[in-house]
Amino acid sequence: MNTVAVSAPPRAAGLWRALRSLTLLRESGVGMVGAALVLFWVLLALTAPWLAPFDPIATLQPFAKPGAVHAASGSTFWLGTDHLGRDILSRIIWGSRTVLFYAPLATLVAYLVGILMGLLAGYQRGWVDDVLSRVADIILSFPVLVLYIIIIATVGASGLNIVVAITFASAPGIMRIVRSLALDLRNRDYVAAAQTRGESAWWIMLVEILPNARGPLIVDACLRLGYVIITIGVLGFLGLGLPPPDPDWGSMINETRAMAMAFPHMTLFPCIALSSLVLGFNLLADGLREISLRD
Amino acid sequence: MLSFILKRLGFMAVTMLAVSLLLFLLLEINVESVATKVLGPYSSEEQRTLWLEQHGYFQPLYVRYFSWLGHFLSGDFGDSVRFKVPVAEMLWPRLANTAILAAAVFAVLIPLSLALGVLAGMREGSKLDRSISVFSIVTTSIPEFASAVFLSAVFVFWLAWLPGTSGMTAGFSFKELILPALVLILYDLGYVARMTRASMAEVMQTHYIRTAILKGLPYRQVILRHALRNALIAPFTVIMLQINWLLSGVIVVEFFFAYKGFGALLLEASLNQDIYLIEACAMVAVFVAVATQTLADIGYMFLNPRIRFH
Amino acid sequence: MTTKDYRHVHSAIPGLIGDLEKGKISRREFLRTVTLLGLSAGAAYGLAGRITGEALLPAAHAAEGAPKKGGVLRVAMPVQEITDPAIFDWPEKSNITRHLVEYLTITGPDNITRPYLAEKWQASDDLKTWTFYLRKGVKWSNGDEFNADDVVFNFKRWLDPKTGSSNQGLFSAMLEEIDTGRKDKDGKAVLEKRMIANAIEKVDDHTVRLNLRTPVLSIPENLYNYPCAIVHRDFETMGANLAKNPIGTGPYALVEHKVGERAVLRRRKDPYWGGEVYLDEIHYLDLGQDSMAAIAALASGQVDVLHRLELETLDAAQAIPDVVVSKADTALTGVIRMKVTEKPFDDIRVRKAVVLCADNAEILQKAYRGMGTVGENHHVAPIHPEYAKLPPLKRNIEEAKRLLQEAGKEKLKLEIAVGNAYGRWEQDSVVVLKEQLAAAGIELKLNVMPAAQYWEIWNKVPFGITVWVHRPLGVMALALGYKSGVPWNETGYSNPQFDQALAKAESILDVEERRKQMAVVEKILQDDAVMVQPFFQSVLSAHTAKVKGYQTHPTLYHQFNQVWISA
Repeated sequence: MNTVAVSAPPRAAGLWRALRSLTLLRESGVGMVGAALVLFWVLLALTAPWLAPFDPIATLQPFAKPGAVHAASGSTFWLGTDHLGRDILSRIIWGSRTVLFYAPLATLVAYLVGILMGLLAGYQRGWVDDVLSRVADIILSFPVLVLYIIIIATVGASGLNIVVAITFASAPGIMRIVRSLALDLRNRDYVAAAQTRGESAWWIMLVEILPNARGPLIVDACLRLGYVIITIGVLGFLGLGLPPPDPDWGSMINETRAMAMAFPHMTLFPCIALSSLVLGFNLLADGLREISLRD
Repeated sequence: MLSFILKRLGFMAVTMLAVSLLLFLLLEINVESVATKVLGPYSSEEQRTLWLEQHGYFQPLYVRYFSWLGHFLSGDFGDSVRFKVPVAEMLWPRLANTAILAAAVFAVLIPLSLALGVLAGMREGSKLDRSISVFSIVTTSIPEFASAVFLSAVFVFWLAWLPGTSGMTAGFSFKELILPALVLILYDLGYVARMTRASMAEVMQTHYIRTAILKGLPYRQVILRHALRNALIAPFTVIMLQINWLLSGVIVVEFFFAYKGFGALLLEASLNQDIYLIEACAMVAVFVAVATQTLADIGYMFLNPRIRFH
Repeated sequence: MTTKDYRHVHSAIPGLIGDLEKGKISRREFLRTVTLLGLSAGAAYGLAGRITGEALLPAAHAAEGAPKKGGVLRVAMPVQEITDPAIFDWPEKSNITRHLVEYLTITGPDNITRPYLAEKWQASDDLKTWTFYLRKGVKWSNGDEFNADDVVFNFKRWLDPKTGSSNQGLFSAMLEEIDTGRKDKDGKAVLEKRMIANAIEKVDDHTVRLNLRTPVLSIPENLYNYPCAIVHRDFETMGANLAKNPIGTGPYALVEHKVGERAVLRRRKDPYWGGEVYLDEIHYLDLGQDSMAAIAALASGQVDVLHRLELETLDAAQAIPDVVVSKADTALTGVIRMKVTEKPFDDIRVRKAVVLCADNAEILQKAYRGMGTVGENHHVAPIHPEYAKLPPLKRNIEEAKRLLQEAGKEKLKLEIAVGNAYGRWEQDSVVVLKEQLAAAGIELKLNVMPAAQYWEIWNKVPFGITVWVHRPLGVMALALGYKSGVPWNETGYSNPQFDQALAKAESILDVEERRKQMAVVEKILQDDAVMVQPFFQSVLSAHTAKVKGYQTHPTLYHQFNQVWISA
């Protein structure tokens, strides 16, 4: 067998294809809207220090309605202030940093663990596969939120604990996807070629199999990111969220929702922010899937 | 067939055991903290030591685990720390209430989401398909707590059409069921509809349906007689698995609307570190989840002849 | 009646009358003290009215028309277990049972204590002997006569360590510590508390006498503390379970009690010793721990009374037509306390710097919307009768910075534990404090945790915010929380000077003298800088306009005997 002819597609080509699929996104209107929403929040998060009109934790002028003017500085509270007088717009802008830091971080860690487990299970098979699959099945049988609540309420809420809890609950799902992809890909010619070349198992798993499994994984990651954002929001809403006073959308909603009847702006805007970001990721995932089906 | 069912049931038992061990370790490995939770913040060191001694907490961990498991299997879940009544007394009625809520949700969710999914999947890529898809994505993107806040702002405070809480304190009330059910339906609807759509679209691509259409059979007949039967197998599994999702959803909704259900009980138990109640609630939640999965697997086998003869 | 005639009630009363005449004490304070000393509330009001010339009878129902009999009152409140009143740990439990089992005294929403199951009482001049004359003709719901045996039984039960009642602390002047002869694992002798011989004696069928080791002024008020409900003398033999066997002297019977859901009380058919009560039924409905659920239930007419209105729902409540929000000033306070035995708070300069950065008035304004009175970092509230005003606290960032520099802690980083056990205002207070501390370069990190987790560490954590509930006398909280070595001393504070000064204040009867002494006590505590105690909050509750005769009690106690519902 000619080993050169059937080796894995060159990496540069892979990168080019990834870029090309991004431009392909133009063909999906839904995907474009999603990408725009996500991009909007990412830009906001990156430029928060320059964009936010106020310090997000400064208690300035309680219960200001949207459009009210800060007496001391003359600046406007475009979205009003909360019960402690903190500017809601600034908190939403800074809060996008929090959520866009923790959600991707948690997802990324979950992916690292899930991919590792999945590759091992799918490529090595045998008892490794059996053990890992059983463990995954057991964790997946837990209703997710029940799991989060018990973990967070027992060990306490902190950024690290939320990342750990999300990894624990999501990694098995990712593992399942990677495993089934690996099961399929391990029989490809280029894998066989690498095996004949005498490459190590890890090299084959990470260099030959993983890059070729990326399509479905990217779609799944977008969906999962959306869900993780909701989860962090739910935890914040239940009072198990990230420690205050650093702005976090879920906690903002939780802190003000009892006042929503009299001051809807306090709760409405963070809800819109959170939903729009989740929507962005979901639409993006849909667009990507559409394109991958077309390919 | 029988061996398949036995295998599934065996796996269920193993899962429950593993979960019980996990829970036990998470909540009871630190005996000092157990005593503080049970006796309260004002208890003295002596009281705690005495209590631990009386309740066998100085025995080795594995002895404690098996004795705990034994009690658990015989239906003795201990007493709630906060409410000071046997856990079982609180748990079953709450579970029944959640079942009522779930039944109401499914009664609307299943026909509605299947109808939307089938309509969308019948003609993939059509305007109807795209609008249904986008609608589904939007509803799944709005978390339950956000829709709960705004639905109650509109229907309770602004329009005053619906009662604000669903405690059913004056007996069963259909009106009180509407808001919690609506929030859950909105969130889950999109997901089930999209799954149905995918399955329907797949079936529509099969040779057998294409041939039927090419043969000139009436479209309506093809859909109703042939496509639906096959397309609904996948959503069946999805719906069974939806029970698992619903268990998460009811936590937020029941808490928000003060519905006396299982989810609110679990949340309040966790927030109050009511350990015996947490243990029982978590075990029940996992049992329900695992049992429905097992049922889904077995049911799927009955419905799908291709798997049966593997 | 002349001033002299009141001497038979208590020898201090003529002096108090003199004080009132000279304007040395307020009317409210006068009423409180003379009723504590055994004068009936009616007589006290009359006396004070004669002296000051004001009409003083409480005009609670005057404007609300004639009471109407009948109707059901629905109250939103957590419904917890109610097995044994002696070991109650939440006032909410007693709100249900207060309609079944009653107390020897009753403290009204005006903070004045009046006779209840006890018809009157008398204190000796040294405040060590208290005699209670019990009401005659009161019947238990099983037909038995209420008598001195019931009271003696209850006292013995409260003071028995096996019962585990918090009343042990309340009546510690009736206890002594004895060596059990046993040794604990460290070889120290195990001490046990027990009732001193003759601490309570039955004088006759309707008279009991308490003999105390040390003088206590607040016995009548203690007797209305929520775990002091008088249960039947056969409570233990009848199963020691009030929920299953609800025998009481009160006007209502327990019809249903489902923990976490609801409790239903129905008016008894037989005549009530205390006269007319109006409501047919009282329903307590548990709406969970979400303050929004409560307000939604009130808005949609599912309940008539919110036991407690959370501050964040105030605006929503005010927006609902026909809802009355009522407020009571209390001594409930969130104490941002520093543990003086832990680093860095073992250095008094650090503690002083923290205190100097805080602006208590701003915290009250922002975290509790100004609904309360500003605290002065010594845990005595202006509504306490013995409160002495000290020179106002001044925020001084420069001095704080200087102290930090002197202590070598310019870049101080602190972490504070917050449990929000009593509401989000705890966290909000700390958020405002964080901002204030930043001015002196102190970085404060919040560690917010579920309330249950906070209760595991409340007396161990170096820096935390703990809520202390309302107590009618200032000395009570100080004795519980700041005396050397007492169990609830969460700051580890120990200052013999303070202990002595407090003990002295506790035994002074003359209000003017006691206040002078309190100034000393307050000053020591303030100077030792163990806490930032930003404010004493007012409690809020809400009810619909058709509920009449409802008044918010500072401790949120319920007693609905005089509440009625208009059509």
